[in-house]
Amino acid sequence: MKLGNLLIAGLISGSIYAVFAVCIAMWFRVSNILNLAVGDFAMLGALGTDHLVRVLHWPTAPAIVTVIVACGVGAYLYDKAILRLALDGRRRQEGIVITFFFTFALSFFIEGLAEVLFGTNIYAAPTLWQGNSLSWGGLHFERAGLLVLACAVVSGIAFTAYIRYTLSGKAVEASGESYVGASIVGIDTRRYRRNIFIMTGMLAAVFGILQSPLTGYAFNSGGTIGFTGFIAAAYAGYQKPGRAVLAGVAIGVVESLLGGYVSTQYNDTILYAILAALVLIRPSAMGLDVAVGG
Amino acid sequence: MPGAAQAQEGAAVGAAARRPALRVEHLSIKYGDVVAVHDATFAVDEGECVALVGPNGNGKSSIVMGIVGLAVRGGRVDLFGSEAPARNVNWTARHGLTLVPERRHLYPALTVLDNVVLGCYSWTRNLRKARTSAPYERALALFPELERHFRQRAGTLSGGQQQMVAIARGMAADPRLLAVDEPCLGLAEAVSKRVYQVLGEIHAEGRTLVIVEEDPRRALQLATRQVEVRNGVVV
Amino acid sequence: MAAIPARLRPGAPEGADRAAGEGRRRRATGLTGQLSATGVVVVAGVVVMAFWAQQYIGSVFVLALTYAVVTAGMAIQIGFSQQVAFSQSVFMGLGAYGVAVLNADAGIPSVLAMLIVTIGSGIVALLLGRIVTKAPGLALAVASLMFPLIATGYVTSANYLGGSTGMPLTGNLFPSSSISASVVGNGLIVVAVVAVVVFIGSRLLGSDLGLELYTLGVNEQAAAAMGVVTPRRKLELFVLGSMLAALGGALYAGTQLFVPATLVGVTTELSLLMMLFIGGRRSVIGAVIGAFAIQYVQGASNYISIHILLIEGVLITVILLIEPEGLAGIGLRLRQAFRRRVAPGRAAAATRRGATGTAAAGTGDATAAVTVRQDGAFATSWAAQATGGDASLLSCAGIDMAFGGLKVLSDINLALPQRGVFGLCGPNGAGKTTLLNVLGGSLQASSGTVQLAGQDITRLPAAERFRRGVSRTFQAVQLIRGRSVVDNVAVACLDSNRSSLARGIAFSHLGAARGRAFEALDYLGMGAVADVEVSSLTLERQRMVELARAVASKPRVLLLDEPASGLSEVQRAELAEVLREIGRHTCVVLVEHDLDLVASVAERIFVLAAGGIVFEGDGESFKASDVVGTLLMGRAPTA
Repeated sequence: MKLGNLLIAGLISGSIYAVFAVCIAMWFRVSNILNLAVGDFAMLGALGTDHLVRVLHWPTAPAIVTVIVACGVGAYLYDKAILRLALDGRRRQEGIVITFFFTFALSFFIEGLAEVLFGTNIYAAPTLWQGNSLSWGGLHFERAGLLVLACAVVSGIAFTAYIRYTLSGKAVEASGESYVGASIVGIDTRRYRRNIFIMTGMLAAVFGILQSPLTGYAFNSGGTIGFTGFIAAAYAGYQKPGRAVLAGVAIGVVESLLGGYVSTQYNDTILYAILAALVLIRPSAMGLDVAVGG
Repeated sequence: MPGAAQAQEGAAVGAAARRPALRVEHLSIKYGDVVAVHDATFAVDEGECVALVGPNGNGKSSIVMGIVGLAVRGGRVDLFGSEAPARNVNWTARHGLTLVPERRHLYPALTVLDNVVLGCYSWTRNLRKARTSAPYERALALFPELERHFRQRAGTLSGGQQQMVAIARGMAADPRLLAVDEPCLGLAEAVSKRVYQVLGEIHAEGRTLVIVEEDPRRALQLATRQVEVRNGVVV
Repeated sequence: MAAIPARLRPGAPEGADRAAGEGRRRRATGLTGQLSATGVVVVAGVVVMAFWAQQYIGSVFVLALTYAVVTAGMAIQIGFSQQVAFSQSVFMGLGAYGVAVLNADAGIPSVLAMLIVTIGSGIVALLLGRIVTKAPGLALAVASLMFPLIATGYVTSANYLGGSTGMPLTGNLFPSSSISASVVGNGLIVVAVVAVVVFIGSRLLGSDLGLELYTLGVNEQAAAAMGVVTPRRKLELFVLGSMLAALGGALYAGTQLFVPATLVGVTTELSLLMMLFIGGRRSVIGAVIGAFAIQYVQGASNYISIHILLIEGVLITVILLIEPEGLAGIGLRLRQAFRRRVAPGRAAAATRRGATGTAAAGTGDATAAVTVRQDGAFATSWAAQATGGDASLLSCAGIDMAFGGLKVLSDINLALPQRGVFGLCGPNGAGKTTLLNVLGGSLQASSGTVQLAGQDITRLPAAERFRRGVSRTFQAVQLIRGRSVVDNVAVACLDSNRSSLARGIAFSHLGAARGRAFEALDYLGMGAVADVEVSSLTLERQRMVELARAVASKPRVLLLDEPASGLSEVQRAELAEVLREIGRHTCVVLVEHDLDLVASVAERIFVLAAGGIVFEGDGESFKASDVVGTLLMGRAPTA
C-alpha cells in the first residue's frame, strides 16, 4: 500500500508540473519563447479567487470567472503592449535567452503586483469538490488531487489532438517552424502567438484554482512551481504537449518514490541529479541538441 | 527590348487585351539606408507568365517580397482589381497570390504531407476538407517522385525535393497567381529542368505565373514576357 | 532611367600597408579603453572607501563589486561567447561556503582561504566541465539549470553549513582590531580584485582569443573549420566563468561575514542573469554596470524595496525594449549620437562599423568586379610555400558514411595532387556536401581513411585539419554577423588556436592577424570593404568574404561548397578566373551545380550519384558523357 499511495502522491504532484509543462511547450512551439511566467498566472488564479471570495465576499462561481477572464485580458494586454514591440517592432529581439528575459520580467512584475494586492501570506482558492478523501482498499485519493490529475490529462490530450487533427493546430507548428513559410500560406503567426499565450495563461489560472487547496499559494510560489514545469517541458524538447505531460508526471512519480524509499532529506538533490544526467547523456533524444544563439 | 517597353507602360497596354492580375505602381523598398528597389512599375495580366530577370542583388526578390507584403514597401500594389494593404502577407495569400519563396522556407520538422496540406490554410480551416480537396490532390500529384517521401520530415529531404515540396505547398493554396522566387537556386541542372517542366504544366492550366529568375535563358523557356530589373530599377 | 539614390559606400580603398597600420592603431585604442575602464574602477573605489566606507553608499558599493566579479565572468562566458550555463550561483556558493568553512572551522585567514577556494573551484569546474561542456547548446543550458536546484537541496540539508539559514564567519578579508579599518581594507581588496578582473576580462575579449570566442558563440561549426579548438575553448570558458563566480562568492563571504543559504539557488541565479542583461551582456564593463544598477536600485528608498519585484520587472522590460545590449549598449548609442553631432564624418564611419543591418540587396555593390591580384605579396608567398612533386596530397580510400540506417556514401576513393581544381558534381542529395564534410573533418566517416600528404587524418577533428592546411567554405554562407569583413577573415589567420585563454590576457596578436587578413582581402580585390560590417554586404560579396577567409591561411587543400550559387553570369566568369588562379597554388575541390563553370576550370571532374562515384574524367569527356547528360542535365539517354 505504501507503494500505491506514493504513486498516487507522485501522480498528483507530477500533474502540477505537467500542466505547466504543457503550457510552456505549447507557447514555445508557436513562438519559440520560453514562458517563465506561467506559474505566476496559476498564482494569480488562486490568490485572486481567494481574495474575491474571502475578503470581498463574492460568490465562488462569479469570482472564478472574473479571475480567469482577468488573466486572459492581462495576457492580451501584455502581448499588445510588450511582446508586439519586442518581437515585431523595428528592433526585433531574437534568440532563446533574450526573449526569455521578457517573460522573466513579466514573472517579476506579476509577483510584485500580487504582493501589493494580496500580501505575503499563503492562501488558497475555495475547494471546489468538497468532502473527505476517497479511499479504495488502502489507497487514498484526495478529491482536489483527482481534479488536478484530470486537468493535466485532459489538457495534454486536448492539445495533442489539436496539433494532430486540426489544420489550425498544424498552423501553430508551422508558425514556430518558419515565419515566412507560415505567412505566405495565410497563417497569422502573431495572432496564433497571442491566442496561445492567452489560452495557456487562462489554463494556468484554472489550474491554480483547482490545485491551490492542496498546497496553498503565496505571491512568489508561481516562479518556483513554474520552474519545475519548465524543466519537465525540457524533456519534451519544449515541443510536444503530450510528451510534456508524460515528463511532468514521471518527474512527480520519481520524486515521490525517491522520497518514500531513498531519502526524504536528499530526494530533490538526487532527482535533479538524475534529470541533469539524462539531458547530458541523450540530448538529441530530447531535441535539445540545438545552439542557443542571440 | 520589347518586353521592357511593355512593362514600362504597364497596365495601359495590357488592359486592352486582358484583365490585369497584378499591377505594381511606383514600388520602392529600402532596408535601412540601402535602397533595394526604386520606383518599379509594371503589370501582369491574367494567364501570363512573366519572368523578373536581372543580375543578382539588383532587387528582383525584393520586388516580390514587397508585393506579397513581407518587406516594407512604398507605392501601390493592386491584386485582381483591389488594392493590397502594405505589410499584410495574409491578405495577399487569401486573395489569390501565393509565393514560393527563395530558400523555400518549409517547416522542417513537419512531414511532407503536413507541409503541403498547410498550403490549404489560405482557403480553409478544416483539415478534412483540405485533405479531400482537389487543389490538395493536384498538389500531391504534381511531383510523383515525392510520393515515397510523404511521411518523411521535410528537413531531411535533399534540396531538389524540398523545392518540389515548396511548389506543391504553393499549389495546394489554389492560387490564381503563383509567384516563384529563384526556383532553381542551388539545384542541379536535371532537377531545375524538372521544376520548370512542372511550372510549365501549372501555367498551361491557365494560372498566372511570376517567376524570379537569374538565368535569362531558363526564364525564356516559359515566360511570355520579361521584366528586367537593374540596380533596383525596372528597365 | 531614374536616378539611383546613393547607397552607403564603403570607405576609400586602402592598401594592405595602411590597413595593417590601422589594425595596430585600433589595438592601441583598445588598450587605452581597457586601462581607462580599470582606472575608473580604481579611482571610484578609492574615493568611496575614503569617504563613505561605513555608510550605506560604501557597503552597497562593496556588495555590488562582489557581484560584479561573478557577472564579469558571465559576460565572457554567456554573453560574449554564448555558452549558456546556469551554474554561477552554485560556484558562487562554493566560493562563499568554502571560505566560511576554511575560516570558521579551520581558522585559515580569509584572504588565503579565498585563494585556495578559487583554485579549488577551478579544479571542480574542470572535472565537471569535462562532462557538461560536451553537451550541445540548449542541453547544456537545461542540464546546468538543475545544478542550482541540486545545490540548494544539499546546502539546506547539510547541518555543518548551517542548514537553511546559512553560515556565519568571523575573518574579515582584511583582519584588523579596528572595525573601520577592516571595512575600508575589505573594500580596497575587493576594489583591487575587480580592477584586475575588469582589465584582464576586457583585454581578453579584445584580443585574438576574444575573436575566437566570439566566433565560437556565433557559429560553432564555422569556428571549428577555421581552426578554433571548440571543445577546449568551451571547457576553458566554463572553468573561467566558474572560477570568477567562486572568487565573487569568496569576496562576498569575506566582506559580509555571513553566507546565507539562499546565495545558492535559482533566485540568485536569476538575479545574476538580470544584472548581466540589464548592464549589457556582451561586455565586462556592462556586467559591472548591471551589478551596480541592481544593487543600488534595490536599496534606493523604502518605497522601492517594498515594491522591488514590480519595479525590477518594469525596469528589465523597458531597458531591453530600448536596447538589447542593456545599459552599456544605451551608453554606447548615446556616445555615438554625441559624436555624430561633434564630428559627423567620423561618427558615420563608426556607426557603419558597428551597424548590424540586415543583408540587403544593395545596388552599388552588385556591379563591383571580382578581381584577383596575381602579383601581390600574398600570391608570391603562397606560391613560394608550395612544395613540388606529383605525389598525391589529399586522398581517401573506402569511405563509407551512414546516418542511422541511411547510407549516404559508399566506398569513395579519391587521390588528388598538390595543385589544380577538381570538380565534384552530382544531383541534389548525392552526398557531395557529406563527402566535403568528411574530407574537412566536420563529420567522421563510418569507415575508410583520409590521408593528407601521406599522413592519416581520418580521426582528426576539423580544427586540427585546418591547422594542417585543409580549409573550406560552406554551402550556406556562414559568416560572423556583427563583425567587420576584416575580422571575419582574420579568424582564419589567428596564431592563438593552440594557446590557452590565459595567453590572451597577456598578449594580443589581433593586429597581426588583421594585417594578414588585409593581405588576403587585397589578393581578392576586396580591400575596400574591409571595415564594413559583414551582414550589410550583398550575398555575392559575402560569398567572396567567405572565399577570402578560406584562402587567407594559404591552405594546401581548399574545399569549396557551391561558391557560385546565387552569382550572376558575369560574376561566375570572374569567379572562374579566381578559381584558376587559386588552383595554381593549391588543391581545390569544387562542389558546384553550374556544369559550365566546373567544366571550364576543373582539370578533373568526379560525378557522385547515390553515394558512389559514377564518372571521372576531364572537362571535355565530362560534357560528352552520357552519364552526366542523363544524370545532371536532364537529357534523354542516348540509347
